[in-house]
Amino acid sequence: MTRQALDLTINGESHQLAVEPHWSLLHVLRRELGMTGTKENCLEAECGVCTVLLDGKAVNACILLAEQCRGRSIVTIEGLGDPEHLHPLQSAFIEHGAVQCGYCIPAMILTAKSFLDERRGHVPSEAEVREALSGTLCRCTGYQKIVEAVIAAARQLNSWPEEARRAS
Amino acid sequence: MGFSFHRPDTIDAAISFAGVHGEDARFIAGGTDLIIQINRRRLAPRHLISLAGLGLDRISETSGEYVIGAMATHDAVVTYPGFQHELIALAEASAVIGGRQVRNIATVGGNIVNASPAADLVPVLLTLDAVVELRGPAGARSLPLDRFLVERGRTVRRPDEILTSVRFAKPPTASATAFLKAGRRKAMEISVICVAAHLVRGGKARIAVGAAASRTVRVRDAEALVERQGAGAFHEAGRLAAAEVTPIDDVRASARYRDLLVAALVERALASCAERIGKANP
Repeated sequence: MTRQALDLTINGESHQLAVEPHWSLLHVLRRELGMTGTKENCLEAECGVCTVLLDGKAVNACILLAEQCRGRSIVTIEGLGDPEHLHPLQSAFIEHGAVQCGYCIPAMILTAKSFLDERRGHVPSEAEVREALSGTLCRCTGYQKIVEAVIAAARQLNSWPEEARRAS
Repeated sequence: MGFSFHRPDTIDAAISFAGVHGEDARFIAGGTDLIIQINRRRLAPRHLISLAGLGLDRISETSGEYVIGAMATHDAVVTYPGFQHELIALAEASAVIGGRQVRNIATVGGNIVNASPAADLVPVLLTLDAVVELRGPAGARSLPLDRFLVERGRTVRRPDEILTSVRFAKPPTASATAFLKAGRRKAMEISVICVAAHLVRGGKARIAVGAAASRTVRVRDAEALVERQGAGAFHEAGRLAAAEVTPIDDVRASARYRDLLVAALVERALASCAERIGKANP
């Protein structure tokens, strides 16, 4: 199969790529761009470790063809804060000890971000957070502290002025 | 594994492309099932024809009906303002399809065309007497969803026809819908049984059962009983529904367990409809 030119916007940066039509977005992120923060596991949208944001919404990068992302904007964990400027979700995960082995955490944080961004100004209940995260599995089963961290981050984000929230 | 990926600019271009390549080509909507089938080497299309960017993703309403574009995502159904009251079963069904990552990609059209007996939205659409719109080389045609579905994985759609939308009449105010699903766990689960009900006060009753047999079916004896006898007959309607479907035995559940679930969920869905009508129309 011949490669096709594909422009993708990833973490605000434009990337000119040449992709094979069957490549998933996950393949492009990890193998072509070396962005290994997005994990690769079940490849069938069951476990959620490959979660990234597509136009702000959480999606499974393992079953999404890179071609389906043409002209759209992608955010991976590499695009969310840095060690000096953590996103409130990242700070909350650290503060609550929500990270055990760490494997699912990029996906947990992005799944949670997509969920919290959809309901700005609202502090979700524990049940709502558990439902929202149900497509993202933690192999350590450390859900309790993850859920607590997400609720804490929601409180923190709600206390921010609107412009700061929009930029986060 | 090798296919080429095409993004036609118009619906007609997509149809003629599919006509040229026949069985070698597949349309791709969200692709959440198709890509998995290709990866498992159960399907090996040589061409994928994208249905994105053709304006098929809108949900709209006229004075008399709702139209859901085939490319509308389940997330769009969950949040659509028109589906929060009498039609809440649509949102209830779409809300339990996969995780949110899948609901952000998977489409209503894909859920229908895929013809999985466990497709959660299908029983709800059947209770609404939904009609599917198809476009092909000879133009458009529409037919009731009930006649569109044949059996597991099979519909009457021809390979070069595109399901463009699904439509149904707006229900009257004194009506309600409900959707119930039983799985082995609460989230991220393929239905063991799913049931949808639609009741109009003093009028029609519709009940559909999914994941029981080779396709989702309406249980017409149970519907007729409820139309004749109303709320007093909900328990008996559940029993009749279980007698009408012949559930399968499979890895997810035994036929006997499915029978019990059909009876219980049909009764519960009907009771939920009655309660919702009462609450909204005191």
